[in-house]
Amino acid sequence: MENIAVIVILVSLGYFFGRMAENKHYQSIREREQAFLSLPTTSTKKPMGNIDHISHVQLVHGNVVISVDYFKRFLATLRNIFGGPIQAYETLLDRARREAVLRLKESCPDANQIINLRLETSSISKGDSERIGSVEVLAYGTAIYHQDSNAQAPIL
Amino acid sequence: MKYQPSLPEHNDNVSHHHPVREFVILIFGVVGLVVISFLILGLFVDQAVNYISPEDEAQLFAKVDLSGAFGDEESSTTQELLQQLIDSLGRCHNILFPLTVHLIKSEDINALALPGGDIVIFSALLKQLPSINGLTFVLAHELGHFKNRDHLRSMGRGLVLAALITYFAGANSDVSQMLASSMTLGQTKYSQSRESKADETALDILNCYYGHVGGATDLFETLQQEEEGSGSELFHYFDSHPEIQKRIEMIHALSKKQGYQVGETQPLNDHFAIQDTL
Repeated sequence: MENIAVIVILVSLGYFFGRMAENKHYQSIREREQAFLSLPTTSTKKPMGNIDHISHVQLVHGNVVISVDYFKRFLATLRNIFGGPIQAYETLLDRARREAVLRLKESCPDANQIINLRLETSSISKGDSERIGSVEVLAYGTAIYHQDSNAQAPIL
Repeated sequence: MKYQPSLPEHNDNVSHHHPVREFVILIFGVVGLVVISFLILGLFVDQAVNYISPEDEAQLFAKVDLSGAFGDEESSTTQELLQQLIDSLGRCHNILFPLTVHLIKSEDINALALPGGDIVIFSALLKQLPSINGLTFVLAHELGHFKNRDHLRSMGRGLVLAALITYFAGANSDVSQMLASSMTLGQTKYSQSRESKADETALDILNCYYGHVGGATDLFETLQQEEEGSGSELFHYFDSHPEIQKRIEMIHALSKKQGYQVGETQPLNDHFAIQDTL
């Protein structure tokens, strides 16, 4: 009886606090994505526009680690029994990807464009059932600065 | 080619179903599956137990010492006296297969029937019980479990449950813990009915041995006093043994129905030099 009570409390706490944190995070992601809308970010290998005007390029990256809450983990374990898409983890990964890209953009606010954007995902807990799972997403790419840009060239 | 910045109108990378809905569907699904499988396999266990004779049982568990798991055994004259008592009780009710008493030093007021014909008596029971009749009822209750093959049933059902939970939810996950706890709760009613049946047999044996059923409720009255002292009355509903007061009333009602007399009880100290040996 006590065991069930503990699990119910943990699941409820995980749900309410997890959902609160998620909504807040999505709100912040939407606002920041809007603010950085004018910075073109692509996965192309060549810069867009006239390459003669480039003053310098820079490797930029942004990474984030997000933990799964108790409710999501419980739901994912249940889903493992029956199979199918683990919807509980979809928002977790979506937030992590978008946050990593945003951090990458925030690291080079004066860049004119970012090319060759790549994303890498890794699991921190490596499937260890004893630990709460968390995911790391690393976004990296090349920031391009035009000659008429106000940005200072990095000292190499 | 012109770069046109814009944000997508919809987020297609996440599902928009409510997670609680998915949670409820999945939890009912898994609990339902385990419950149905357990009900079917539980019936198989009950049937299989009928085919295991006490002789087969003794042979099966000959090399397993389950009683050792509960603590050190007290090898004393008290144990021998208990053995004699249980042998006479068995003869009284035609339970003729060999049973061995193990007196274990422990602060728990409890006794257990284990597969293989072993009865474990915890020493605190002898210290707390006021009369030999009360002790006889406890031993007779355990004999009742052997007669009704409850120890094999509970072991079989326990194994089936553990196998089902491990199969569905893994050995040590949160879901398996939740399933184990809720299924144990679900088993409460079944266990309570087995306990009541053992009480019924115990009452018959007590009457056969002493010619009356005085002292049948001694253990429960002692437990009741203990509990009032500790003040923990929470979670009674979920005890595998029916609530103490209900059980006392049930024993009274049953002895009335059978027409058993309630006679004088004899103090336990007259029979066992308890304080010296334990």
